Amino acid sequence: MEVKELQDKIYAFVQAAKGKKKLKEKDIIKGVSADTGETPDAVKKAMREMIDVGRLMYSYGGGSSSVEIPSEEYLREKGMIK
Amino acid sequence: MKKYETPLLDELEKGPWPSFVKEMKTAAQKSEMANDELGQLEKSYKDRRGYWKHGGIVGVLGYGGGVIGRYSSLPNEFPGVAHFHTVRINQPSGMFYKTDALRTILDLWDEYGSGLTNMHGSTGDMVMLGCRTEALEPFFAEVTSRGWDLGGSGSALRTPACCLGKARCEWANIDTMDICNHLTQMYQDYLHRPAWPYKFKFKVAGCAVDCVASIARADCSIIGTWKGKIAVDQAAVKDYAKGGMDIQAEIVDMCPTGCMSYDGGELKIDDANCSRCMHCISKMTKALKGTGEKGASILIGSKAPIVVGSLLSWVIVPFMKMEPPYTEFTELVEKIWEWWDDNAKPRERIGELIEMKGMRSFLEAIGVEPQAQQVFEPRKDPFFFWKDEDLNGNK
Repeated sequence: MEVKELQDKIYAFVQAAKGKKKLKEKDIIKGVSADTGETPDAVKKAMREMIDVGRLMYSYGGGSSSVEIPSEEYLREKGMIK
Repeated sequence: MKKYETPLLDELEKGPWPSFVKEMKTAAQKSEMANDELGQLEKSYKDRRGYWKHGGIVGVLGYGGGVIGRYSSLPNEFPGVAHFHTVRINQPSGMFYKTDALRTILDLWDEYGSGLTNMHGSTGDMVMLGCRTEALEPFFAEVTSRGWDLGGSGSALRTPACCLGKARCEWANIDTMDICNHLTQMYQDYLHRPAWPYKFKFKVAGCAVDCVASIARADCSIIGTWKGKIAVDQAAVKDYAKGGMDIQAEIVDMCPTGCMSYDGGELKIDDANCSRCMHCISKMTKALKGTGEKGASILIGSKAPIVVGSLLSWVIVPFMKMEPPYTEFTELVEKIWEWWDDNAKPRERIGELIEMKGMRSFLEAIGVEPQAQQVFEPRKDPFFFWKDEDLNGNK
């Protein structure tokens, strides 16, 4: 699978959990790997690239970290949208 | 700049000791943030409640830790602290700084933050107190361009910390600073990208005096020790006695295993029963010295009482050689992380998981044999179990 396609699958996976469950990195890696048949390392690498460019972001609450789709406020703050 | 009356805080300036209030007032002369922080703190003292909101989504791009979001719940009254985020900067091993490095980072903090710091936080980082959200990325760019990096926060590896070890201390059995630096460099990904159920801390102490308090504050404590005997310089023992030391009361009677004896002339040690606690060596430095092979005891599971009660670390490997590239240690740690990550609930520390699942399951998972030194308390060894095949038909 092309990285771009895998990243779209990861995005869809995170979007489907929005408002229902705070996903940890491991949840995404396991879930997407099972759905796509890609190796956990490939999913992890693709996910990290998305975090690096702001397509996904780390979030924090109650002492625990998760991965989420960035809010518009976050993207504006990082200068990614006007 | 608004002038706040601070009668309650002023009380903390009295007395001969250093005062954080005095330092805040100095910073407040040139920083609106520090000034409003003084005002809000006085109000907190007066009203007996805090006015901080904690957490949220604040950070630098690509990193999952290093910034702790903090906002005032009274932004209209104290606009300077409407945003007051904490930035953790990874300290150098042993906390050695050249003054020009310190000046550089503090000048940057005056420019981008409140100018207030906590040197150092209990994790070990330099804690830069008070930054607006929009100043985070520019400050991060400035500090990283000068070779610094953020420390850990959230469910990640926290910034490893160590005592100053062989740099200044004759008792150091291991090169704490090199181990700390090695772990920091090797596990950068775990530091900046939170992937675990909760936090994980390493602390490296050169000996059992444990100046970095690793036994109480680290999920994994690395404590320097030795395998040989304690060499005794009897002439130096006599000098201590002549100097007024009550060797029986201060040394022999304080030995936790009772392995020492003193007849008024000669100090004897039954090394086979010594637990290497360092009490006698730290009291009689000129007379006593650990000899033989040097290495570390590896302990697991201490934590402060955040979710449930506090725990002290538990010995899992009584002696391990600690030489670069520390492969034996890092292979063990990675097995520990794997078991913890697979089994822990959110916000469950490794020590809590071991309490839940049992030391036996833990040792089996990480491939460490049960040993006598792992016994937590006398006559309490719940992780020694025998399978049917071990009993050869005898039950």
